[in-house]
Amino acid sequence: MEKVIIIRYSEIHLKGKNRGYFERVFALNIEKSLKGFKHETRRLSGRYLVEGFDEFQTDALLERLKRVFGIHSMSVALKVKSDMDLIFAAAKEVCSESGTFKVVSHRADKTFPLNSMQISAEIGGRLISCMDKISVDVHEPHFTINIDVRENGTSLVFNEFFKGAGGMPVGTSGKGLLLISGGIDSPVAGHMIAKRGMNIDCIHFHSYPYTNMQARDKVIELARVLSKYTCGTRLNIISVTHIQEEIHKKCNGEYMVTLLRRFMMRIAEKCALKSGAQCLITGESLGQVASQTVEGITSSNSVIKKLPVLRPLCGFDKDEIIERSRAIGAYDISVQPYEDCCTVFLPKHPVIKPTMENILSEEGKLDVEGLIDEAMQSLEVITL
Amino acid sequence: MIYFDNAATTKPNVECLKKAEKYLYNDYFNPSALYTEGYSVQLDLREARKNIIKNIADSERFDLLFTSCGTEADNTAIFGGAKRGNVVTTAGEHSAVYACMNELKQRGTEVRLAALNADGSVNADSLLNLVDEKTSLVSVIHVSNETGAVNDIARLAAAVKKKNKYTLFHSDGVQAYGKIPFRLTCDIDMYSVSAHKIGGIKGCGALIKRKNLIIKPFIFGGGQENGLRSGTENVFGIKVFEYAAEARYAHIADDFKKAEALRALLKSKLDKSLFTEISGENCSPYILTVGADGLRGETILHEANDNGLIIGTGSACASNEKKRYSRTILACGVGEKLADGILRLSLCADNTDDEVLRAAEILNRIVKNRKEIMA
Repeated sequence: MEKVIIIRYSEIHLKGKNRGYFERVFALNIEKSLKGFKHETRRLSGRYLVEGFDEFQTDALLERLKRVFGIHSMSVALKVKSDMDLIFAAAKEVCSESGTFKVVSHRADKTFPLNSMQISAEIGGRLISCMDKISVDVHEPHFTINIDVRENGTSLVFNEFFKGAGGMPVGTSGKGLLLISGGIDSPVAGHMIAKRGMNIDCIHFHSYPYTNMQARDKVIELARVLSKYTCGTRLNIISVTHIQEEIHKKCNGEYMVTLLRRFMMRIAEKCALKSGAQCLITGESLGQVASQTVEGITSSNSVIKKLPVLRPLCGFDKDEIIERSRAIGAYDISVQPYEDCCTVFLPKHPVIKPTMENILSEEGKLDVEGLIDEAMQSLEVITL
Repeated sequence: MIYFDNAATTKPNVECLKKAEKYLYNDYFNPSALYTEGYSVQLDLREARKNIIKNIADSERFDLLFTSCGTEADNTAIFGGAKRGNVVTTAGEHSAVYACMNELKQRGTEVRLAALNADGSVNADSLLNLVDEKTSLVSVIHVSNETGAVNDIARLAAAVKKKNKYTLFHSDGVQAYGKIPFRLTCDIDMYSVSAHKIGGIKGCGALIKRKNLIIKPFIFGGGQENGLRSGTENVFGIKVFEYAAEARYAHIADDFKKAEALRALLKSKLDKSLFTEISGENCSPYILTVGADGLRGETILHEANDNGLIIGTGSACASNEKKRYSRTILACGVGEKLADGILRLSLCADNTDDEVLRAAEILNRIVKNRKEIMA
């Protein structure tokens, strides 16, 4: 009797002729996530089987697999030879001590002497006769014992389904560049887009010496959290110190954030095009702060020339974002009190509804291209 | 590299480390063990206890319990000494005291905060007015970790006892022990000290307390330190502490004078048009706190760091807090704009005139440049 993990995929089965491509990427991602663990992965029809691992590491494997996009659900099963006595022994092992239950069987091996109804009835009957605190309820059972008689002479017996991360395998929907600040929102935005199969690179802007190394390390940690879901990521770090100083020196202070965001978007697009990313991703949520009003978004969006900007959090409330942030394990890092670059020169009253006319007039006071080129020189890339 | 953040921690005294090395490799025995080797270590701890006390108090009247740090000593004093009624402290305490007071408040004890003078010392009248017949504990920092202001704790303790002889008087002496020549008077019931501020290592502190004073422990276990602080003693750390304290006290008066001269030089070389002095006259010679109006202290810290100068922006222990401004500095009556640009320059007697001159040059240059950018 061996413990194995059954992995079922989600949307991939809806795919047509290109299904093989999705399955290959999916299998590769599973392998990447289980790197370092002794195991073997086998493909069955419409599912994967992880076996040959040390039993004490089952929870650790499940924990890793829960972060792999494309997995619909998982079960820890007992694998036995397709023999009714052995199947019963396994069923007894996974059976709860009390409560109502039913047995559901699938028989892929049509040469097996009993059909699925007969298997369920036989195993159910044997269980009742040896355990006195359980009874059958086929409509609303407390637990279900599943028996899967495979073609290769083995059977899988399990009673639990663990929810997977859902979505599509990362790498099947191209690559995007996430603007990551160190706050709560951006990692959540990255996670949501990665869930739809996109590879994520990150870009972070800092203002050393106005911000500290801890703020930078915090962002690296956040990118690392994200990389657990995206099978790795590349973090681009760029200094915008001089840009902020120039804005501070030459422009109306109320436009600091508006102008800075336009610079960030321009630099991000430049980096994205250079690294082959096909879109930008931001954690903007409509109306959350002054720069995220529709006017603010219009202003920052208007400098983007070629790429679409995905804003998956646009319609979310802060508490919904926090809930997701906690779920992906980013929240405790995000709330560490180190400031990102936006707060350093923060005006007391930032402009909430900037007009393009005023923005362009303020921006006209700066050597935009020169400052961007200079900032690009500070680029540092960390592979996680 | 010039190190001017000695109030955060000091460079360990290498000779003391070497001298105590045998407690790591040879005399590693548990001091509570009954065999000869263990007992011998216990005797060595007893020696350390006596020597650490004798520098500052009469060992006939005071004893000492070892803790893991100054913060733990403060916690032991406050939670062990405070009873129902009220406790009185100052607005300029280290977080190790301040956070305990907040916790006491949560538990239903009334906490009264005495106002500060402009230099960060406590306003004595304000403090004494808060003490009444229901005051179980008064805690006053000896040397402010942020401004260096020295509180006359002997006088304050005597005045507190005059108002209520049952009130316990505690002082956080972490920035004073081994630096300021001073003796504990019998009015001071408890005094917290820390090893790594005087050349010892981190992970070792002590609460010096009046003999026969009964306080409640908050760490329970094997009954070490007379049951007041269970847990196997950090023998190596304690012995280094003992040796470092001995080394300090051997020339405490000379070091004090040296530090005074260094501080005076630093003060004179810092451009008065760029810096506002926060530390007052009655201040530890080891600390000079200044403010760069309109700038953020942390920005200067990073730039100074890049120029080979290490300084602080206030309490290193508060850098984990979310608050932007130091509550102590605000309590001195400093406005938010200046409070944002606070720099704490903390010296040791080993610093040189040359280091002071170079540090002043770096700070003047950086702040001048930053002020021009931020203007």
